[in-house]
Amino acid sequence: MTTKTTVARTVDRSSRNMVLNIGPSHPAMHGTLRIVAELDGETITKATLEIGYLHCGFEKLAEHRTYNQWLTVTDRMNYVSALANNIGFVLAVEALLGVEVPERCAWIRTVLYELSRLSDHVMNIGLMAMDLGAMTPMLWSFKERETLYDVFEACCGGRMTMSYPRVGGLARDVPKDFKERVRFGIKGIRSYCDEIETMLTKNRIWLDRTQGVGILTKEDAVQYGATGPVLRASGVPYDLRKDAPYLCYDRVDFDVVTSDTCDVNGRYHVRLDEMREAVRIVEQCLDKMPEAGPINVDDYGVILPPKEKVYDQMESLIHHFKLIMEGMRMPVGESYHATEAPNGELGYYVVSGGTGRPHRLHVRAPTFYNYQPYPLMIEGRMISDAIAAMASLNIVAGELDR
Amino acid sequence: MGVKKTKGPKRSAWTEVYLPEIFRGMWNTLRHIFFVKPFTVQYPEEKLKVPGFEASPPGYHGEHRLLLDEEGRPKCVACFMCQTVCPPQCIEIEAMEVDWPDRDKAPKSFKIDMLRCIYCGLCEEACPKDAIELTNQYFTISRTREDKIYDLERLTHNAPDALSYNRPEGLKPEKP
Amino acid sequence: MDLTAIEIIATLAKALVVFTAGMMCTPVLVYAERRLCGFMQDRLGPNRVGPKGLLQPIADAVKSFFKEDLLPANVDRFLWIVAPAIGIAVPILCLAVIPFGASVPLTESYTLIFQVADPDVGVLYVLGVVSLGIFCTTMGGWASNSKFPLLGSLRASAQMVSYEIAMALAVISVVMSTGSLKLSAIVAHQNTDWLGVVPEWHCFTQPLAFLIFFVAAVAENNRIPFDLPECEQELVSGYHTEYSGMRFAMFMMGEYTAIGFMSALIVTMFLGGWSLPWIQLAPASGPSWIGGLVSILVFLVKWALVAFTYIWLRWTLPRFRYDQLMGLGWKALVPLGLANIAVTAFLGVVL
Repeated sequence: MTTKTTVARTVDRSSRNMVLNIGPSHPAMHGTLRIVAELDGETITKATLEIGYLHCGFEKLAEHRTYNQWLTVTDRMNYVSALANNIGFVLAVEALLGVEVPERCAWIRTVLYELSRLSDHVMNIGLMAMDLGAMTPMLWSFKERETLYDVFEACCGGRMTMSYPRVGGLARDVPKDFKERVRFGIKGIRSYCDEIETMLTKNRIWLDRTQGVGILTKEDAVQYGATGPVLRASGVPYDLRKDAPYLCYDRVDFDVVTSDTCDVNGRYHVRLDEMREAVRIVEQCLDKMPEAGPINVDDYGVILPPKEKVYDQMESLIHHFKLIMEGMRMPVGESYHATEAPNGELGYYVVSGGTGRPHRLHVRAPTFYNYQPYPLMIEGRMISDAIAAMASLNIVAGELDR
Repeated sequence: MGVKKTKGPKRSAWTEVYLPEIFRGMWNTLRHIFFVKPFTVQYPEEKLKVPGFEASPPGYHGEHRLLLDEEGRPKCVACFMCQTVCPPQCIEIEAMEVDWPDRDKAPKSFKIDMLRCIYCGLCEEACPKDAIELTNQYFTISRTREDKIYDLERLTHNAPDALSYNRPEGLKPEKP
Repeated sequence: MDLTAIEIIATLAKALVVFTAGMMCTPVLVYAERRLCGFMQDRLGPNRVGPKGLLQPIADAVKSFFKEDLLPANVDRFLWIVAPAIGIAVPILCLAVIPFGASVPLTESYTLIFQVADPDVGVLYVLGVVSLGIFCTTMGGWASNSKFPLLGSLRASAQMVSYEIAMALAVISVVMSTGSLKLSAIVAHQNTDWLGVVPEWHCFTQPLAFLIFFVAAVAENNRIPFDLPECEQELVSGYHTEYSGMRFAMFMMGEYTAIGFMSALIVTMFLGGWSLPWIQLAPASGPSWIGGLVSILVFLVKWALVAFTYIWLRWTLPRFRYDQLMGLGWKALVPLGLANIAVTAFLGVVL
């Protein structure tokens, strides 16, 4: 198999260093990733990465599915924050179509996007702690995620794979007590952040393990295309919510969190503070959201008509039929739209040939670009540092390999 | 500008001696042992319930059921919309011609492979006759893979007590 | 030395009881750990097998017993088989010299002491046998002929050797203030109250030695925060990667029995052993049944508290990196131990 020989050729077997295969099936790997590390004692002298164990052909599948059908696939890329992927995708398709969703839908999407950001960051902090030995915060993270799952389940019926938005709106309207449910869901996040700070932030064991570890300098981060908390912890205040606003981010007030330390500790603090900013954004959105209003665009060439009209009116039935069988009427063209996913810049590049199925669809997965400078971060360091650095990058293998 | 620089803690005598922060962390964990109620839901004796709310509003993407009309026949007209829209292509329908007053076609067989199904709800959205819906029943086991290919008979009788998005109070009692 | 019949029978009976107690450490501590870890994590631990999950360790034992006994092809056979056996034998051997309670008058002429053997060099014996425990981890990793276990066992051997030095230095101060190496003498030395108020336990009179010993004991047992040899996230299970079934269970038993033994040792040397603060359980008038039995209870309560602290620490703290761990052992604990000895010696001369 070509992969094996390629990796083997970069590894110098004649040297005295031990070759350790931190292999695809390993308790700490976030998914199936392989690092072929040459060790000199405990120090990694050379690391070669191998990815692709989880490649499922998501992008190829897009050529054979309509846009709303492929939406269900986007859930499974970054399965920790599924709604972020969904919303990013529908925004890209809507950019190509040139439709604007109604006010209320945009606010709801903003709230859901931030809730999935909370869900992802909470999980990553827990996993970082677990990979470094403190196993308790991970269970507390999952407790917070459970309350967020309940919000998602009330909206759309799914807890992990939501597929809630549709091109041109949402699949269903949110429940009547949506605001109360969201407020209940985020109630525990601030106290969770404070509790984690009590357990970890000033603990010298944690500081020794995370400060100065996994350094990614500003120049390297920019050159490799890293985005998200990884980039912001290296000192670059680049956040698409401020630099290229979408949805309702230009109407709420929040800060972009950066850090100058470029290390694992910096990423940990950036994520913690981003969680607090996300709670701020959600609270503002809940206050500013209109109480009533349409959810979907008014164009039945793009989104399914409501069922009452389908049962009675012939025209709606025909729209419904055409949308299901052939997909929506897309113009010929291409568009790239990126959003600030919890991991970084998640971009969808949609090439449409005028039919209901995309001609080509490429996903700019932030994890893929964040993972590339990983050998830089670990060469010359010990195995324990490699694990800490990997945990701080928040590698989600579904998104990495697609 | 809206950029907030976050700084890690300063290393001082308080952090360097290990012990004060270790004791703080240990006190927090001790508090969890005695003063925080466990979050566990003892399934199957207790079911998941969101405290402070009634339950999730019905609309959970669980198992499918086919709905019947007043004469007790499945409402499905075998239009193949759900089969077309299903992303993993797990629905198989065979149509037959019928001579009933309200429709020309009905399904001869209607199979859903529940193990391929991703429970996305697109079939419920696609149905123009309100014939298929996803209920909030999620816990059915089987011993073989073949058992999990639900056919027309099983789907029409599936989850009779479960709730769904369109029928939040469940099926009306007079339906068979 | 004349051994009467009663002495022989009593010693054999005590040995049997201590052996059983040592083997029972594992189910008790495994159950306690899983339940407490659950409570700390806002969940319930095992609670289905038996009332409140009390039969869970039995279920685990039955499962381990019935697993297939694998012998991988490339291992160094003798060492691989012997390693878990040493792991469990060492702590039980050490348990032989721990005094569990005050003496009771068994017959008119014979006083039963709750200690299987009370050599004059008890402390030295304990330190020596604990050193043998290093063989378990080293041999387990080396014999497995695989890279992850090798890394684990290398880390383990270096760590355990370093922290033994710190342990020994802490113990020396205790021995200096007691004036004897006998463990029963150490407990008797703690059996008084200073000014009638504060018990003269070594955790109050030698706090630094207590701290050093506790940290070194946690490191000797390979528990978080010092569990590099077996951490799951870096090395897939460390030195017991290649083991499964009953052999793995024996490693676990060895680890938990070692925790039980170290807790007992900490209680004996620093927390006053079987003595109660204001009530004299071994009065000068002679041993009594009540005193003896209450003292065993006192010992068990103190032991439980120390074991609870082990579990508490494990689920609270992150783990050290290898070089930081060695730095702590050599650069922090050893100098502190030496300083403590100097101060103890000085105060011993002055006071």
